[in-house]
Amino acid sequence: MDTSFSQVAWLIPLFPFVAFLLLLAFGRGQRTLGVLLGSISSFAGLVLSILVLIEHMSDGTKYYQYSFKWLDFDGLTMNAGYEVTNLTALMLVVVTLVSFLVNVYSAGYMKGDERISVFYSYVALFSFSMLGLVLADNMLTLYIFWELVGVCSFLLVGFWFSKPEAKAAAKKAFIVTRIGDAGLLLGILLLYWYMPDHALDFVHIGNVFDGQTGIIAASVTTWIAILIFVGAVGKSGQFPLHVWLPDAMEGPTPISALIHAATMVAAGVYLVARTFDIFQASQTAMDVVAYIGGFTAIFAATIGVAQNDIKRILAYSTVSQLGYMMMALGLGSMTGGIFHLFTHAFFKALLFLGAGSVIHAVHTQNIQEMGGLSAKMKITTWTFGIGTLALSGIPPFSGFWSKDMILNTALHEKPVLFAVGVAAAFFTAFYMSRLFFLVFMGKPKGEQHAHESPASMTIPLIILAVLAAASGFIQTPWNNTLGTWLTDGAEKEHGGAGIVMVISAAVGLLGLYLGWLVFVKGTIARDAISSRAPWLVRLLERKYYMDEIYEALLVRPLRGLGYLLNAIDEYIVDGLVQLVSGTAVWFGRGGTRVQNGQIQTYGVVTVLGLIVLLVALVGRRFW
Amino acid sequence: MEAVQQQLQSLTWSDAAYLAPEWILVAFTIALAVLDLFLPRQSSRSSIGWLTLGGLAISLGFAIWRLTDVIDKVGKTDANGQPVSHVIRLMGDSYRIDVFSSLLKILFLVATMLIVLMSLGTVRKTDISDRGEFYYLLLPAVVGAMIMASSGDMITLYIGLELLSITTYVLVGIRKHAVQSAEAAFKYVVTGGISSALLLFGMSYLYGITGATNLGAIAQGIQQHASEYPALLYVSFFFILAGLGIKIAAAPFHYWAPDVYQGAPTPVTAFLAVVSKGAAFAIIFRILYNVAFFASSPDYPIADDVFLAVLVIAAAAMLIGSTMALRQVNVKRLMALSGVANAGYLLVPVGLSLKGMHASNVGEFIFYLAAYLLMTIGMLAVLSVINKSVGHDEIGGFAGLYYRAPWTAAAVVVFVLSLAGLPVTGGFFGKLFILLGAAESKLYWIIAIMVVSSVISYYFYFGIIRQMFMRATIDTEVRVPVTTGIVIWLCAVATVVLGIVPGPVLDFVNDHFSIVSDLFVRLQ
Repeated sequence: MDTSFSQVAWLIPLFPFVAFLLLLAFGRGQRTLGVLLGSISSFAGLVLSILVLIEHMSDGTKYYQYSFKWLDFDGLTMNAGYEVTNLTALMLVVVTLVSFLVNVYSAGYMKGDERISVFYSYVALFSFSMLGLVLADNMLTLYIFWELVGVCSFLLVGFWFSKPEAKAAAKKAFIVTRIGDAGLLLGILLLYWYMPDHALDFVHIGNVFDGQTGIIAASVTTWIAILIFVGAVGKSGQFPLHVWLPDAMEGPTPISALIHAATMVAAGVYLVARTFDIFQASQTAMDVVAYIGGFTAIFAATIGVAQNDIKRILAYSTVSQLGYMMMALGLGSMTGGIFHLFTHAFFKALLFLGAGSVIHAVHTQNIQEMGGLSAKMKITTWTFGIGTLALSGIPPFSGFWSKDMILNTALHEKPVLFAVGVAAAFFTAFYMSRLFFLVFMGKPKGEQHAHESPASMTIPLIILAVLAAASGFIQTPWNNTLGTWLTDGAEKEHGGAGIVMVISAAVGLLGLYLGWLVFVKGTIARDAISSRAPWLVRLLERKYYMDEIYEALLVRPLRGLGYLLNAIDEYIVDGLVQLVSGTAVWFGRGGTRVQNGQIQTYGVVTVLGLIVLLVALVGRRFW
Repeated sequence: MEAVQQQLQSLTWSDAAYLAPEWILVAFTIALAVLDLFLPRQSSRSSIGWLTLGGLAISLGFAIWRLTDVIDKVGKTDANGQPVSHVIRLMGDSYRIDVFSSLLKILFLVATMLIVLMSLGTVRKTDISDRGEFYYLLLPAVVGAMIMASSGDMITLYIGLELLSITTYVLVGIRKHAVQSAEAAFKYVVTGGISSALLLFGMSYLYGITGATNLGAIAQGIQQHASEYPALLYVSFFFILAGLGIKIAAAPFHYWAPDVYQGAPTPVTAFLAVVSKGAAFAIIFRILYNVAFFASSPDYPIADDVFLAVLVIAAAAMLIGSTMALRQVNVKRLMALSGVANAGYLLVPVGLSLKGMHASNVGEFIFYLAAYLLMTIGMLAVLSVINKSVGHDEIGGFAGLYYRAPWTAAAVVVFVLSLAGLPVTGGFFGKLFILLGAAESKLYWIIAIMVVSSVISYYFYFGIIRQMFMRATIDTEVRVPVTTGIVIWLCAVATVVLGIVPGPVLDFVNDHFSIVSDLFVRLQ
């Protein structure tokens, strides 16, 4: 093959970038241009990505990498470039597919919005950044796009800025993920320092850490892995940095589907998978990843049970499912993590878009105010139902297969996490059945004139529903296609354990059945738990008080420091001024106003600073 | 005590030719002052502004020419195969034209040109009545900064410093009818006095110990006598640090900065933040690397302590600057405190000293200074436009800017990203290079502080973005004057270019600059 599609893979991010530039230049006052440019550019990207993927599925050229010298620093060179591996090819398709469907969907969902072209320009910029992140061939380039997706996410979460919650959420999303990013940057710095020749590209990283040759000390490896993982924790909403993700639901729903369910939040999982060799070189780091992931999975799933906002339930569900992926990675199963990322992208995007369709119809997000929508919204109901079954892990839908693979790995590697995973699966099925039955079954409440959404919204739903139903078959216990393809068969296979499949399907069905008993049949009273253990419900409703804990532990002290320094400025400095001027007035001397006292205090502070420095640094030499 | 003798040569005509960039500015100052007297009272003084710009441009041309000339001689050998120094030394090494000083002069001149250009669009007669003076007084101020960059002797260094200071005192107070401006000028004069006093006191000890004012001679004297006067040397260096700490507005010597920046006319604020600060950094580099570096004796590791003090001041500046900025709503005060934090970042390469493999301190410093120059001047240029539109400097003036002036808002995004140290901007690589330098010196605590303080700083920088994108727009038209618009776009584009291809700038400095020949003053 002379030229391959992989060689022109750099075009994929360029399509949305051109769309972004065109929208920036001509988008003002245009209403349809955004839809047009956004859809066309993402479709072009999708077609090319599929071609790249097909190329990678066939034998022959499996890998393409191109880079150029970007900058010289202190005698070492840093390259920038792109790399197409099987993993990136898969991610490209996921990102462009969801992005294309969301672009189409938004044509209907955002129709009435005045700033629709601004919306499309942000989405295009996001697609560009996300695809750049996927294609990056080294840590530094990845980091740059990593920051860019963060900025886009910030802009889109705060898109409806007239709502104060949206503004606050945007700020929170940005600051919290930045904490993670700082960790990632430190990890990259450490990597830079210890890698031979300061190489930061994934190929070299793979070679250095994979060989187990001990080029880099074990403790350093652990630190690097953990710092990179901190970045992933921030981006992928893992405990304890998950607090921003549910709040980010203040953004438009298509954005929640694209950024906060299918693509950007999965970037953390992708990052860990991309630097998997580093993690595999340190058992400590792997354990940290596995336990944080497992804990997040159960933790967020329980919160999901007590929420009433349809998007927040889905958001906690996302946090929990991302926890599953991390857990899989931490247990050494990259295939499991990526497989779940793949299926989750489809069914969660489907659920969010379905939720958007519901919100579009009933103009509320509170599931207690909804009901009986199945009669009026047939397509939405059916597709949402498929999404629910897939997420709850009911065979033969896609979520079952990927979850089964993770649970199977957990059973063999760490039975504790298997138990955690099964429990989380039960809660997942329960909150999803609660959500589904409250919204679509029962008697209509609130909005009586709900009607099905336009075709631009339902067609993406149908496509995603097909994928959510069927995409799981690429990897089953009897058929290790994905695993062989992704890892060249290097990964340990655990074989099919029938017992795991039975358990996982059983807890899923049990959760759904319990939800049916409570919310449809009424055999179990809805307040069965809240009347007996109101504190428990309250704890879950308040999300284990995480926000309050952060407020008390981080925000207040930091703000307090700011206040303190300002207080020194305002009260002590000012107070001294007033003392000085007051004394001066008392002595009856004029002109205190011209001799502004503040400047004296500034002088005093300067001299005090000098003395402190002298005493602290020099004093030790003489005493 | 045996004084180190040195010969002070007088300035010859051929030497004077090397000083063309400085002479031209002096000549323009005098000519413009006279012209200002003869121009009719009503006439707009923008002609003087354009002439000032012209003078700066000619001077810049000569400075660049001199730099290429100096670079050509790097690494040349004479007929006997002996290496020839490329440094031009005037008056017994008290005035040096080397790669270090030439690069800084070019930065100062470019910055001042941008500042004059931005003033041409926004300075109003009702605000500054003596606009002629406003423009041509910038020239002696730059000359002062250039002398500081070139000096190899405490006397020239001090003369440069005072020339710069005194002219900026006048410039800060040039809005004669504004109380704020007068108050700022007063505060600046007093603080400047304290700074000079501390600096002179410290320098007098150096003279006392070595009997010399030339930095090379002092270094030699100290190498011989350091062990005899540890206490005096400590006092001397710490006083010098404090005096210059005031000039660069590093914590805890920064309290004057918010008041003065706020009261000064915006272009003067930009001048203080960039040129004045940069020039003080130039002499910090010169003094510390020339003199303090050699002051250690077996019992007293003075050099280590002084460089540690620099890092401690840097850490304090980063943390205090960014936390105090959290509650600021006035953009000028915000920029002042951001300037405090940035002084901290700029101090890091100074304080890293020369450890192990790490020798690119000056490269890191100059790159970040260039990035800082662009983002600060750009941001203040936007602010001066906004001030014209809404009449104040509060952050609320940026509300809904994206919907009123989308392109200006896009430029502000670039500046904010750069200030916050995010890609793809010059500020990102500036900080990254400094971080990498610190990583090479294995000073992890300062890396941690840099990262923490930049995380804190996101909060207030993004306050500006939130205003522009996420606030309802206010109904005032934003009109960007052509000249100010040019400044904004030059800065924004250059910031992005530095963020995409940082290599050339850094390579240029690292390839041509050598600490031994360009920073060290050594007797021959």
